[in-house]
Amino acid sequence: MAGQSIERREILRILAVAAGVATFPGFSKWSFACGHISNALAQIKPAVYRPVFFTAPEYALIERLTDLIIPADDTPGARDAGVSEFVDLMVSRDLHLQRDFRTGLSWLNTHSRKTLGKAFLMLDADQQTVFLEPLAYKKKFRTGDERGREFFTLVREYTVMGFYTSEIGLKELDFPGLKFYAESPSCPHKDDPEHRHLDPATSK
Amino acid sequence: MPRQIYDVIVIGTGAGGGMAIKTLCEAGLKVCALNSGRRLDPEKDFRNHRNSWEMKYRGFGDPKTRMKDMPDFLDSEYNQGAWEHDIAYTTAPGTKWMWPRCSAVGGKTNFWGRSAARFADIDFKAATLDGFDADWPVTYGEMAPYYTHVEKMIGVASTVQNRPSNPDGVYLPPFNFRCLDWILQKGSEKVGVPYLPDRLAQLTEAHDGHPACHFCGDCTFGCEVGAFFSSPWFLLPAAEASGNLEMRTNAVAKNILVDENGRASGVAYIDRESRQEYEVLGRAVVVAASCIESARIMLNSKSRHWPNGIANSSGQLGHNLCDHLYATTASGYLPQLLGQPSFPDNVGANSIAWMPRWQNLEHAHEETFVRGYSVYPDGGCSEFPSYHDQIEGFGSSFKREIKRRYPTPVSLTVQAPTLPSGKNFVDIDPKAKDTFGIPMARIHFQWGDNELKMFQHAKQTSAAVLHSAGGVLEYAAEEPESPGYSLHETGTCRMGDDARKFVTNRFGQTHDVGNLYVCDASVFLNSTDKTTTLSILAFTLRTSEYLMQQFR
Repeated sequence: MAGQSIERREILRILAVAAGVATFPGFSKWSFACGHISNALAQIKPAVYRPVFFTAPEYALIERLTDLIIPADDTPGARDAGVSEFVDLMVSRDLHLQRDFRTGLSWLNTHSRKTLGKAFLMLDADQQTVFLEPLAYKKKFRTGDERGREFFTLVREYTVMGFYTSEIGLKELDFPGLKFYAESPSCPHKDDPEHRHLDPATSK
Repeated sequence: MPRQIYDVIVIGTGAGGGMAIKTLCEAGLKVCALNSGRRLDPEKDFRNHRNSWEMKYRGFGDPKTRMKDMPDFLDSEYNQGAWEHDIAYTTAPGTKWMWPRCSAVGGKTNFWGRSAARFADIDFKAATLDGFDADWPVTYGEMAPYYTHVEKMIGVASTVQNRPSNPDGVYLPPFNFRCLDWILQKGSEKVGVPYLPDRLAQLTEAHDGHPACHFCGDCTFGCEVGAFFSSPWFLLPAAEASGNLEMRTNAVAKNILVDENGRASGVAYIDRESRQEYEVLGRAVVVAASCIESARIMLNSKSRHWPNGIANSSGQLGHNLCDHLYATTASGYLPQLLGQPSFPDNVGANSIAWMPRWQNLEHAHEETFVRGYSVYPDGGCSEFPSYHDQIEGFGSSFKREIKRRYPTPVSLTVQAPTLPSGKNFVDIDPKAKDTFGIPMARIHFQWGDNELKMFQHAKQTSAAVLHSAGGVLEYAAEEPESPGYSLHETGTCRMGDDARKFVTNRFGQTHDVGNLYVCDASVFLNSTDKTTTLSILAFTLRTSEYLMQQFR
């Protein structure tokens, strides 16, 4: 038993070392994202972040899209987690992504002007949602939108990647890993192996 | 000053090399180990305890430098710098081969999947049972004591299961079942398929000076406390403590040197950094560079005595390359768990159970294929919600659904052995040389009918298990993963009594060259439904004892 506690201390020490390497400097929201996560609305303001790849108008569009995909509601969203910064970083490191994002963003604005007479960011929030729905829901798919759908899928994928690897995103999921457990975690419902009678969950 | 002559030179420090090095050094032999990569520093190179948001690319790795065709858990930001980028290989036209290799000290044992089941007589005598190919030149009875020795050394968590294809060993307490395991076990029961704790070389309690696992869940990124078996944590320290080991790192073995009688006299290697060639001399040589690399080194060892590669009078060196066919045979989710609180399911990198071979057990020809496969289930709350692409839409409803589905994903993966085939082998590319000037291995490989039938069979069974468990099936692979994906290649230096048909004898000693031994999965006759590491350790232990007898 004595041995066990030394071991535990050792692990805590290692975890502490790992925590020390924490944040990558140069991004406006990742370090911030670990800190205050309340008052999400207050964060809707121009980012101080300077995009590496995207032009300023492109970046504004990326930021809005990520925000629509994972919005702040009763919990923080993509904007709070600095997801657009992650997207910019990843895209800046991959030529294929650069091509796909650039042509996709351009498709979005062209299409928005053509159908609604305005650039995407000039639409109001409801119009933006209505505009994106045919790209996102099978029932609403339209022929001719294939490139737009591919692009939306791509943006959504990178938004998910950026959000659910942020501290905010993993808190949202209540990620239970990277912790110390004294024994291998065991199912708490052994009287119900088929799990047919679980309490209806208290989903947050 | 006369050049030092070591007792044994061991090429490679993974499961086979590590076990040979430990056993020989502890017996008092002077060993020089050659490892083609560097030593890893657990605190720097294993980033398994880092949170994703503490890493620049959130764990995905730099899109610019990461090998694109690798699965997510290899060459990611968590273990970047540990995987081989320099030693290239070619593939024959029509061959797809994805070959992740770890050249660091300890090799792939640093990151392996930890499943550690014994082979059985149903494996060793498969040819007698089904009439295909050749039996192994060993029996389970001969191997059992070596398996026991190895299990006691490394610690394997499992239960006694009394299955004909799965001899039971000496086990630490098993991993506890999680919610998804009980649900899938019930589903398996209805289909008539076993669902049991895997044999996991992962310490559920402190063992022989090694700490117990703390179930953090990122095992495939390395373990900096050494709570699962790897050569650098379990084998090499004892060898280094003996004072009999000289480890040369960044030493890329080029060819085996021979004396005037054609016997092995040493190894020529290239220093990875200076690109200079060196020679090291020894009384015996153990090749343990992993299946394809071992064959390449031996095929590149041409001399007056061995014009077709050392110990290749049979012409079989490089032949009979086998692999595991891997594929996702069913994935989806368990609605019973929708919206449940998150649970630490990812305690063993998500896989702690197995569905061990249940086909062709009573009779060799019950199925349309011969032999058998196993299935590995995994799922539950993992770090990243990779099921997101199964949910459509965006906005708050999308975000809620990702959260609701978090505890529910499940996935079944088939591990099906290939049969030896004349089409599957390794030779030396006549033109291509790697950055060290060494001729490259060229891989020839196609899936055969038998393993493709197993794949289809596994898909049907996996879908049935998922349905019977009340689950929803969302995906099953159309095609298997690329050959090479499993990292379980075997063959190329097969063992057998007949020197005209086999490269090595039943002890892993080459028939042609008495002081040349092979200690990795290349001596295996074929792959089985089980993983290779435990058997590499057991066979190497036996070969090392035999080698020591030759020294006396």
